[in-house]
Amino acid sequence: MKKILLLMVVGVFLFSGALLSASGDVQVADDYDEDTYGPKDPIIWVKPVKSVVFHHKTHTMDAGLDCDSCHDELFAMEAGAAEENEDFTMATLYEGGYCGACHDGSTAFASNTRCTTCHIGVRGHARLLGDDGSAAKGH
Amino acid sequence: MKIDDLEQMESEDLRTLSSAERRRFLKFGLAVTGMYLGGSVLSLTSAQTVLAAGVVPELGKYAYTPHYSMVLREKLCIDCERCKDACVKTNHVPAYGFRTTILEKRRSLGGDNFETTFMPVLCNHCNRPPCVRVCPTTATWKDEKTGIVVMNPSRCIGCKTCMTACPYNARYFKEETRAVDKCDFCFEAKLSKGETTTACVEACPADVRVFGDLADPKSRVYQLVHSPETMVWVLRPETGAVPNVFYINS
Repeated sequence: MKKILLLMVVGVFLFSGALLSASGDVQVADDYDEDTYGPKDPIIWVKPVKSVVFHHKTHTMDAGLDCDSCHDELFAMEAGAAEENEDFTMATLYEGGYCGACHDGSTAFASNTRCTTCHIGVRGHARLLGDDGSAAKGH
Repeated sequence: MKIDDLEQMESEDLRTLSSAERRRFLKFGLAVTGMYLGGSVLSLTSAQTVLAAGVVPELGKYAYTPHYSMVLREKLCIDCERCKDACVKTNHVPAYGFRTTILEKRRSLGGDNFETTFMPVLCNHCNRPPCVRVCPTTATWKDEKTGIVVMNPSRCIGCKTCMTACPYNARYFKEETRAVDKCDFCFEAKLSKGETTTACVEACPADVRVFGDLADPKSRVYQLVHSPETMVWVLRPETGAVPNVFYINS
């Protein structure tokens, strides 16, 4: 009788353990295709100010834009090309350049609102790189 | 004294205490207790009128001329940290310390979405600075003319009591000078040399930081904190330090 009880208890543990680990695995299967949706890693610009983030996923997979919605007219395909331009500024965005083509307040939120959605700053950049910056901030 | 003499003396134990004497003692004790109790009850109730006054003083109630102050338009801050870099360069701040820095708040928007708010912080140049009160060597004081909380490094003994007293964590110990260092609104580096603004204000690309004389109704800081439909707040008002760094959201 004792052995049966013990087996049952062990069985319950094993079953619940399997359930828990299985539920964790579900999200791993990712249907993100870099050829369709663009690079998986975020684009981070550090010029003219640190640091601005762009996620291809948010714009292509989630918002349904095509590659040629932005490339090559608004942005060159080459990574980091935009930030070398003199006119890669907020002023240009307000006039409809770069991100401002859609971020005008009607297609997407206006460029002069919700600053920190894209401007993740030095702290946000450090977090993306996997460094929470706590070591340097000791005080 | 002999045992015989002692036996002749009057007893001093409790049996000989008269009722009147006991009452006098008890009354005295109650009076002392009542004084303390009454005081603490009063201190709890009187706070209401103080809070109703708000954090922005009225015109004519500024203690200094010029009454230097900074207004931070918080939601515009993007944490590019140009202000920090400029401050480090201007005031020779070492890598382990800061005179100004940027803090970060994250608020859930539901799901995986967060809204980030960056909060620039610096010395608040309080009207009632706790750091000045605790300094044992008067190495830090409030400048009589400008109201800037200044430091004399050569008088500092490095006890760090001011660092503990500061509600804003605006002080650090500078190894190079063996003294506590802090923001002085660039008084030493710029204002005393005739310039009118601070390094961090000059460096800010988003016009977050505004510096000026709060006692002058024509100054931008005055107009910002006194404009209608503006939310103005200070950090940690409950400490009673009466800070001169204001935060607004417009």
